[in-house]
Amino acid sequence: MPDVQKPQKKPAARAARNGKASAASPDGARLASYLREVAGGEYGARLDPATFADPALRAVAEAANAAVEHVAAEAKEARARVEVVTAGVDEAIEAMIRLVIQGDLSGSLRLGVNDAALTPLIAGVGQVMETLKKFVTEIREAALQLSTSSAEVLAAATQNESSTSAQASAIHETTATMEELKGASHQIAENAQMVAAIAEQTLSGARTGEGAIKEFMGSMEKVRHNAVEVDDAIAKLSKRVERIGTVVEVIDEIADRSDLLALNAALEGAKAGEAGRGFSIVAAEMRRLAENVMESTKEIKNLITEIREATHAAKEAADGNKRMAGEGEKLGGNAITAVTGILAGIQETSDAARVIHLATQQQRTATEQVVQSMSEIEEVTRQAQAGSKQATGAAAELTKLAERLAELVKRFKVD
Amino acid sequence: MTDPTSEILMFQVGARVFAAVVHDAVRIGAVREAAADELVVETALGLPFSRERGIVVATQQAEVERTLVVDQVVGIRSVPESDVHPLPAFAAACIGSGAVTGFVMVDEAPMLLVDLPTLVRERAGAAAPA
Repeated sequence: MPDVQKPQKKPAARAARNGKASAASPDGARLASYLREVAGGEYGARLDPATFADPALRAVAEAANAAVEHVAAEAKEARARVEVVTAGVDEAIEAMIRLVIQGDLSGSLRLGVNDAALTPLIAGVGQVMETLKKFVTEIREAALQLSTSSAEVLAAATQNESSTSAQASAIHETTATMEELKGASHQIAENAQMVAAIAEQTLSGARTGEGAIKEFMGSMEKVRHNAVEVDDAIAKLSKRVERIGTVVEVIDEIADRSDLLALNAALEGAKAGEAGRGFSIVAAEMRRLAENVMESTKEIKNLITEIREATHAAKEAADGNKRMAGEGEKLGGNAITAVTGILAGIQETSDAARVIHLATQQQRTATEQVVQSMSEIEEVTRQAQAGSKQATGAAAELTKLAERLAELVKRFKVD
Repeated sequence: MTDPTSEILMFQVGARVFAAVVHDAVRIGAVREAAADELVVETALGLPFSRERGIVVATQQAEVERTLVVDQVVGIRSVPESDVHPLPAFAAACIGSGAVTGFVMVDEAPMLLVDLPTLVRERAGAAAPA
């Protein structure tokens, strides 16, 4: 057979390659034309073998018809399979799209077309869905965690903002307080300086007072000495006065006797009548003199009495002066002791005031540094407050996004 | 021719000044020097206060003298006899003592004139036991 067919096929094939039928064989040309149609994908026409005179061509025609029939059947079958597979792919894609759109990933892909060629596709789609499920589940969990975390972040940011605001307020108040403290420190430093100056003045005054007390004690000593001298003088005066009193008593007695004598002389003169007239005159004169003496002695007695009283008062005063001078010296000694203590206390006060002045100056400097630092802290806190507000806004936005993500993820059912 | 005068002794007992004829007084002495039994302290003239002077008066008994205690002997004065008056009867009746015999005008003021021996006697009579 191959031998038979080869000589027959060579001219046909050659003719077919050349693209033109042999004029000598119109059937061959017709057959070639037909085959070219078939090669072009036209399977509907058929050769009529009976029309071929050449049996070989007839057989070729029959074979060509059979081949075309077979190819057409296979093509049809292939087209049918392609359609089925295409429908299954479309169905799978639609189903997947539908599932994705509906978000229902809980079920499995079921196709109306059952073709073995779709099995890998179905398996692949199933793997894709499983992967999606896994992704969605993980995304849902992540969204839940993100929502929780963002809520916590929001709460923390809000808390932080509130704390930062409170801190800023506290720092502001602290700064204001430190400003007041700075002013108070300044005032204290000035007052301490004033106290130190006053303490110096007081110290000087106390030293002057100490000198005055010493002079006072010297004066008291002189007063006591003078009082002793006055007392001695008064005692001497008293003795002299007593003696004067004694003399005056004698004079008074003499005057009294003179008076008595003059009275008796006058009496005798009167008894003698005219003869005793001159005697009576002399006696009257004597009596007048005696009365003058008695009057004088009376005045002297009164004066002596007054001198005695005055001397007694002076003695009491001198005794009082001595006593007062002694008490004055004693009080002066106490005052010296007290002033010495006061001087020591004032000296300590002055030293302490000086130390306080220095300490308050240092405190003022430190306070100013603290105020400066507090101002810087306040500025930083203000920036932190602004950052906290931004963080709170971002956390709120993040929370919204997390909620949005959770809402989106909720659309996908995976169970 | 001058009017006759009387010499009178003026003395004070208490607050009042009396007069007596100088011849009634023997002398004038100090009370402290006289014996106590000779002193006549309380009389019709009253009770003296200071009792500084004593007017020694003679009694009817010889060598017996009494000392009338007075506060002060004012002095001796000559007064006209026309200024010496007897005591009116009505006054004599009112005054219980017979020692007051009249009054004398001294410096235009009446002054009782006392009979010292009678006064001392009255006192001695009053002091004598019944």
